[in-house]
Amino acid sequence: MANFTWVIDQRKCIGCHACTTACKSENEVPLSVDRTWVKYVEKGTFPNTQRHFGVLRCNHCANPPCVHICPTSAMFQRPDGIVEFDKDSCIGCKACIAACPYDAVHIDPETHTAAKCNFCAHRLDVGLEPACVVVCPEEALIFGDLEDPLSKVAQLIGREKTQVRKPEKGTDPKCFYIGADEAVLNPDVQTHDDSGMYMWSNQRDEKHGVKLDNNKPSGISLSSALNAVTNAKVAYDVHHDIPWAQYVSLYLWTKSISSGVFLFAWMFLTYLQLNFGPQFTRVFPDWLLWMAPVLAIVYIGITGVLLIADLDRPERFWYILVKPQWKSWLAIGSYIILGYTAMLVAITAAVFLGIGTTPVTWMFHLTMPLAVMTAVYTAFLFAQAKGRDLWQNPALPLHLLVQAVLAGACAIIPVAAFMGDPDPISQFAKMLIATSIIAHLVLTIGGEVATEHTSKAKQRAVHLMIAGPFKNFFWWGNIVFGCIVPLALIFIPGLQGSVGIDMMIAGLALFGLLAYEHCFVMAGQSVRLS
Amino acid sequence: MTAAEGKTKRIGSWLSKLLERCRVARDLEPASHAGMRKPSEMDAGVLARADVSTGGTKSGERKVGELALFPPREKWDNWQEWDPKAWPRKVAKTYMLVPTVCFNCEAACGLLAYVDKETHEVRKFEGNPDHPGSRGRNCAKGPATINQVKDPERILYPMKRKGARGSGQWEVTTWDEVVDKLAEKIRKALVEKRNDQVMYHVGRPGEDVFTERVLAAWGVDGHNSHTNICSSGARAGYAFWMGIDRPSPDHANAKFILLISAHLESGHYFNPHAQRIIEAKMKGAKIAVVDPRLSNTASHADYWLPCYPGGEPAMLLAIAYQLIKTRRINMEFVRKWVNWEEYLQEFNPAAEVNFENFLVEMEKTYSKYTPEFAASESGVNPQSIFDIADEIARAGTAFASHTWRASSAGNLGGWQTARCLFFLNVLSGSIATPGGTSPNSWNKFVPKPMTMPAHPDHWNEVTWPKEFPLAFFEMSFLLPHLLKEGRNTLDVYFTRVYNPVWTNPDGMSWIEVLKDESKIGIHCALTPVWSETAWFADYVLPMGLGPERHDLHSYETQAALWIGFRQPVRKVAKERMGQEPGTTLGSNPGQVWEENEFWIELSWRIDPDGSLGIRKHFESPYRPGEKVSIDEYYRWIFENSVPGLPEAAKAQGMEPLEYMRRFGAFEVKPSVYNGHEDTLTADELQDSHVDKTSGRIYKDRAKVSSVNIVPMPQPGDDEGRKLIGIEIDGVPHRGFPTPTGKLELFSKTLKDWGWGEYSIPSITRSHVERAGIVKDLNEAGDKHNADFNFVLIPTFRLPVLIHTRSGNAKWLTEIAHSNPVWVNPDDAKKLGFTTGDLVRVETEIGYFVTKAWVTEGIAPNIVACSHHMGRWRLGEDKGTDRWCSSLVELDEKAPGQYLMRQLEGVKPFESSDPDSSRVWWNDAGVHQNLTFPVQPDPISGMHCWHQKVKVTKALPIDQYGDIFADTNKSHQVYKRWMNLTRPAPGPDGMRRPWWLLRPLRPSQKAYKFPEGRPV
Repeated sequence: MANFTWVIDQRKCIGCHACTTACKSENEVPLSVDRTWVKYVEKGTFPNTQRHFGVLRCNHCANPPCVHICPTSAMFQRPDGIVEFDKDSCIGCKACIAACPYDAVHIDPETHTAAKCNFCAHRLDVGLEPACVVVCPEEALIFGDLEDPLSKVAQLIGREKTQVRKPEKGTDPKCFYIGADEAVLNPDVQTHDDSGMYMWSNQRDEKHGVKLDNNKPSGISLSSALNAVTNAKVAYDVHHDIPWAQYVSLYLWTKSISSGVFLFAWMFLTYLQLNFGPQFTRVFPDWLLWMAPVLAIVYIGITGVLLIADLDRPERFWYILVKPQWKSWLAIGSYIILGYTAMLVAITAAVFLGIGTTPVTWMFHLTMPLAVMTAVYTAFLFAQAKGRDLWQNPALPLHLLVQAVLAGACAIIPVAAFMGDPDPISQFAKMLIATSIIAHLVLTIGGEVATEHTSKAKQRAVHLMIAGPFKNFFWWGNIVFGCIVPLALIFIPGLQGSVGIDMMIAGLALFGLLAYEHCFVMAGQSVRLS
Repeated sequence: MTAAEGKTKRIGSWLSKLLERCRVARDLEPASHAGMRKPSEMDAGVLARADVSTGGTKSGERKVGELALFPPREKWDNWQEWDPKAWPRKVAKTYMLVPTVCFNCEAACGLLAYVDKETHEVRKFEGNPDHPGSRGRNCAKGPATINQVKDPERILYPMKRKGARGSGQWEVTTWDEVVDKLAEKIRKALVEKRNDQVMYHVGRPGEDVFTERVLAAWGVDGHNSHTNICSSGARAGYAFWMGIDRPSPDHANAKFILLISAHLESGHYFNPHAQRIIEAKMKGAKIAVVDPRLSNTASHADYWLPCYPGGEPAMLLAIAYQLIKTRRINMEFVRKWVNWEEYLQEFNPAAEVNFENFLVEMEKTYSKYTPEFAASESGVNPQSIFDIADEIARAGTAFASHTWRASSAGNLGGWQTARCLFFLNVLSGSIATPGGTSPNSWNKFVPKPMTMPAHPDHWNEVTWPKEFPLAFFEMSFLLPHLLKEGRNTLDVYFTRVYNPVWTNPDGMSWIEVLKDESKIGIHCALTPVWSETAWFADYVLPMGLGPERHDLHSYETQAALWIGFRQPVRKVAKERMGQEPGTTLGSNPGQVWEENEFWIELSWRIDPDGSLGIRKHFESPYRPGEKVSIDEYYRWIFENSVPGLPEAAKAQGMEPLEYMRRFGAFEVKPSVYNGHEDTLTADELQDSHVDKTSGRIYKDRAKVSSVNIVPMPQPGDDEGRKLIGIEIDGVPHRGFPTPTGKLELFSKTLKDWGWGEYSIPSITRSHVERAGIVKDLNEAGDKHNADFNFVLIPTFRLPVLIHTRSGNAKWLTEIAHSNPVWVNPDDAKKLGFTTGDLVRVETEIGYFVTKAWVTEGIAPNIVACSHHMGRWRLGEDKGTDRWCSSLVELDEKAPGQYLMRQLEGVKPFESSDPDSSRVWWNDAGVHQNLTFPVQPDPISGMHCWHQKVKVTKALPIDQYGDIFADTNKSHQVYKRWMNLTRPAPGPDGMRRPWWLLRPLRPSQKAYKFPEGRPV
C-alpha cells in the first residue's frame, strides 16, 4: 500500500507563491482562506540578514489529530496515507481546526465546511500530480510514495537532512522539509509586527477580535545574537481564524451548570442517605427530585443549542448522531449528553408519574456517572485538540468536575430560595462552593499559573491569560469576584443566614466561572500555531 | 445575505445535494497511457523514475513516479477529470485543452487552458509542457490569469466618453463607429503628411513585429514604448559593447552567477530564469546578488552585496581591475574579440600596437579602481571585491551575469552598470559560452511575415528628440513636457497595455496633457481593464487578455531559439469542436476584440482603395486582393518563415498552423552558443567586400536577408554596405554587430557623439551618489534632529504582481496589496518612528505619505518602496479595479499643484463573483510615482528612477495615502536635466548613429536633419 508524502525542498524555493495560486485555481479556493501558503521570515541584523521561505500546508500526518477529533469522519485517512476530507459529511464543528497543530485546516467560506490540502486527491485518481507540484518553477515540491524505495521522496528523505514541523506533537507529520530554517517552521521563534503589517500586505483582523500573539517575552533576557534567532520577524503570512469563541465558553459554563445541578442533588441525596438512612426523606426536599433534573434539562438544552449554533452547518447537527466517529470525544460527548438527557427526562417523568422515591433515588445513582461524564468529557475533547497546548492538561478532567460542582451548587441557591426552602440546601451548597472554589484555585493557580510549562506555546497562552488581553477576566472576574469575594462572604462570621448574601455568593461564583471559561477557551487559542 | 439566511438557504439546498450525491460516479480514464493504476492501489513499481539528482529536467521528460504532470497530449481534445468542487463525490468534467501564452509579464510562459466542453468557459490555466522557456511551470501569475478572465470589473464593451475628457462619464459604443472614426482621422493625417501625429504607445508589447509592421505600413514613425522607464539604461550599457542591447545569460550551465537584478523574484524573465538559476545553484554554482535591498533573490545568494545606489560601476570596475592586475583574464578571447587595437591607439597612440602593450595600458587605466575606492563608493566590504574576482576566475567561461532595470534604471549614468558588468564577462571570455552570457538576439527568433513595409520616411521628434541621439529608445516619459513645449501635437494617440499616468514619473503632467484636447486630438486606450490612464481617454477599447488574442513572440530565456504562439483559447476550442472559424469577437466575452484583428480592420479602412499603399500589406497571401484573416497571417509565417516547423508538423500529420495551435510553441534550435565564432558560408560571402586593415566584411544591404528578422544593429561602411562579419586569424567569422565587428571596449560612437569621457567602461556620477548624500548628512550637523537625506529606491517588483496589469487578479492582490517604505532600523530609530508609523517622503516636486516597514533587509540611508501598489480611482465603481484601488479625490490647490487624498481604501463589493464580498484587505498602497520628476539620462535616455528624498514622521495634517505634486516644479526639473544633454546632430548631420538599434527604424534619409531646418 502506498504511503503518500510531501518533500518540500526549501533550498530551491524562491517564495514565489505559485503553489498558492495554483492550488486556489485547481481547487477553486475562495478568498480569505488558503490550503497552502508561503511564509516569509526575516532574521539577522544588516548586513547579515536573511529572508527564509516556508511552504506550509497539511502534513498528512500518519497520526492525524484532525481525523481523531472529527465527530463524523468528514476528516478521514485514506489507506494510501492521504488525510482527506468530505465536505458532505462535515458539520462545521471546527474541532479539526482546534486539533491541527499546523493551522492546516480552515472553514471554506462557500461550503461552510472544513477544507485543507488533500494532495489533490481528485487529480491523483486520474493519474496526475498535485497542482502545486506541476506549477512549481523550481520543482521544490515533490510528491510521492514513501513506501516505494525508488520514489524520489523516499530517496530524498533517505539521503538528505530533513525536518518536520512540531514532531513533539506526536502526529508523525509526513511533510518533510529539506533546508528549511527553524524560523519558518517553528512559530515559537517568530514575531509578527504589532502594527498589523507585513512587508507587502496587511495582517488580517481576527474574526473573533482576539489578537493572536506569539510576541510576548518569555521573561528571559536574551543576548542579541540569540534574540536574532528567536525574534525572527515574519514578513509575510496568511491569517488563521481561531475556531472556537464565545459559544464554546458559554457552552462549557451551561454544561457545568447542567451536570452540576444534578450532581448537587445527587450529592445531597447521597449525603442524607448516608447520614439518615431510609429516613432521609424527612430532611430531603421533595421538590429537588424533579427540580434538579428539570434544571439540568434546561441547561443541557441551552448547551445543545449553543453547540449547534456554533456549527457552521447547524442543519447537519444530527450527522454527529447518525455517523459518529467513535474516537472523537465530540461524538462520544454527544452520546454522553444524549444519554444524560434521556436519563434526566426519565427521572422527571418518573417523579411526575409518582413511581415512588426509592426507584427515583436509584435512578439518581444510575445517572450520576453520566452527569460526571457530561462534565468531564470536554477535557478529553480538549486533549484531542492537539494544537492547543493550554488545553493539554492532565488535571483538566478533575478541574471540569470541580467546575461542575461549583456551578451546580451556585445554581441551586436561588432555586432553593425561590422554593422558599433555603436550608439546609444553602448550607450544603455553600460548603460545596467553598470546597470547589478552593479546589479550583489550587488547580488554576497551582496547575496553570505557577507551574513551569513544558512548551513555549503553553507558557505564552498562560501569559496571555494572566497578563495579556484576558488578564482582567482572569484576575478580577475569576479570582477576585469569582473566588475571593465568595469565599470571604462564606467565611466571614455574621453574614450567614442571609438569603441575599447567599444569592450574591452564587452569582459571583458563577460569573467568575464564566470569566474563567472565557479566558481558558480564548487564551488557549490565541497562540499562533504556524 | 445574513448568516441566518445563509444557513436557511443551505438547509434548502441540502436536499438537492443529497439527490446529486445519488448520481452514480463512473471511473475516469487515468492520465498515463497503458492502464495506469489508481494511486491508492499502487505498490512499489519498477517503472523508470525521474533522476533523483537535483538537476532540471525538460518538460517533456518531466515525470515523477507514476503520476503524470499533464494529461497526455492525445487526450487533450477530450480530457476528463473529477470536479474538485464536488470531490470526494466523483463528478466528471470534460475539457478541451488549448495551449496559449501568459500575458502577465515579459517572460511569456506557456499556459494550457482547460476549456469546459459543455459551457465553453475556461475553467483554469496550467503550464504548457511543450513551451521551451517555461517547461510547463509557472509563477503565481500564470494560474491567476483565470482571475483576469473572470474579473467582474473588466471592460466588456467599447466605451466612448461623454462630457469633458477625464470627467468619468462613459457610454457604450460600437466597434464599427470606433474603427470608422479612427480610420478617417488617421487617413486624413496621412494624406495631409502629418505622419508624426499618429502615435502608438505600448507598455508590454507581448509580441514581435505585428504592430511595428502596421505602423510601418501606415508610414508613420509612431512607435512609442515604455522602454525608457524600464530598461534603456541596461540596453545602452550592453549595446555599446556588442551592438545588441540585451543579455541572455545561460544560467542553467553557469558556475558563478552575478546578478544586479532580482531574477528569483521578478524581472526579465522571472520564471524561466529562476528555474535555471536554481538549477545551477543545485549543481553547485555560486550566486552573488548586488542590491541594497534584501530581495528574495539576494536571500538565495552566497554573496549579498548591498551596494549603495550608483556605486555599482565602481565596485564592478574594482573587480575587473583585480582580474586584469592578476592577469586572470581569458587572453585568447580578449585578443580575438575585443577591439583592443582601437583602445590602445586611443589611449596610447605612441605605443606599438600589440596585445601586451594593451594589457599594460588597460591595467594602468583601471588601476584607480582599488577595493578601497570601490568600498567608499559602494559601501561594500573590500573583501567582497577579492571574493567575487576569485569566483569569476574560477568559473571561467561559465560565468553568467545579468542586470536589468535595478541600478541601470535608477541612476544617472546607470547604463555604466550594465557596461561594467559585461566587462567582467568580456574579460573572462564568458560571452555566448555554455554558462556564459550571450547577446540576446542570438537566442531570439522573429519570423518574417508575408510582407515587410519599407522604412517610413519620417522622424518623430517627440519620441526621438534631438537632445537624445543615443537613447534606447523613445523618450516616452518626456512626452507631456515635449508637448507642453509645443514641439508637436498628436492627432491620434493610442495607449496600449500602458498606464503612463500611473506608471510613469510625473503622472500629474500626463493628466494635464491628456486632458488638453489641443495637444492630443483623440486618445484611444486599448486595454482589457480600467486604468488611471484609460480614465483620460476618448475611447476605451476592450482588448483581449492573454488567452483571448493572438501573438507570436520569442524571448531569450535560455541558450536556445523558440517561438511561442498566444491564442484565443475559446475560439480555438470551439473551432476544434466543429464551430465555424470567425473573429475573436465571436468567442471572447462581451465585445472584447483581439488587437491584431483590430489593426487589420483599421488599416483596411484607412486605405480602402489601396491608394496609400497600406492595403497591400493586409491582403491575404492566399486569396489575392482580399483582406487577410488572422489565421492566414500566422499560417503564412508558420509555413514559410520558421525553419523546421513544416517538417515537425508533417511528422505529426499536421499543417504548420495546426501544429502551433496544438502545441503553442516551437523550438527552432535547442542550443545556441558562440554565435560570433560562426564561420560565414560561401553563400553569405558571395559579393562581399573585405576591408583589408580591419578584416571587416561588408555586403550590399539588399543582398542580406534572413527569415529571422530579430532587430539587429546595422553597422556598415561608408559605402552603405552592411557589416556581415569579420576576418580574424584568416577565418571569416560572424562577429558582433558593432562598427568594429568586435566587442567594443572603446566606443568610438560615444566619442564621436560628444561623450569622449565615457568612451570606455567608467564611472558616471549618479544623481544619488553616496558622496553627495554623505556630504548632505555632514552638513546637516546634529544627526538626531536634522532632516535626513535618503535615497528612495522606488522600483522593486514583487514576485506576484506585474506593474498595473495584475491588480485585477484577486489571488495576487490578496497576497500583496501594500507598499510601505522599507527603512533600516538604525535610520528609523534616529527619525523616531517604527513599523506602522506614518511617514512623509518628500521629493523635489511633492511628497507622499505612507507607512514605514522597519527591516534589517535594507541598507542604512536608503529607503525602498515597491512599485505595484498605490492604484487609485476617481470613480466610485470605475477607473481602476476595486480589488486593488482606493477611491481618491484629486484637488488642484493652485495651478499645477495637486493634492490627492484617499477617501476610502479597498473594501468588499457586490459583483457576480462572490469572492468580491470576501475582500478582507483594506489597503491599496500609496502611489509614489506621481511625486517623481522626470530625470532623463542624457546618454541612454533612461528615466533615472532613484530619488533623493527627505523622510520624516508625517505631519499632523497628513493622512495615509496623501500625495502632493507640483507640475510647475516638475517642468523646471525637466529643464534642468535637459541641460545635461549634448544634442544631435552628430557626425554627418545625423540625428542618431545609423548603426544603433532602433525600433521601427525609419529610412536612412529620415536620419538626417532636413536641409534648412534649424537643428
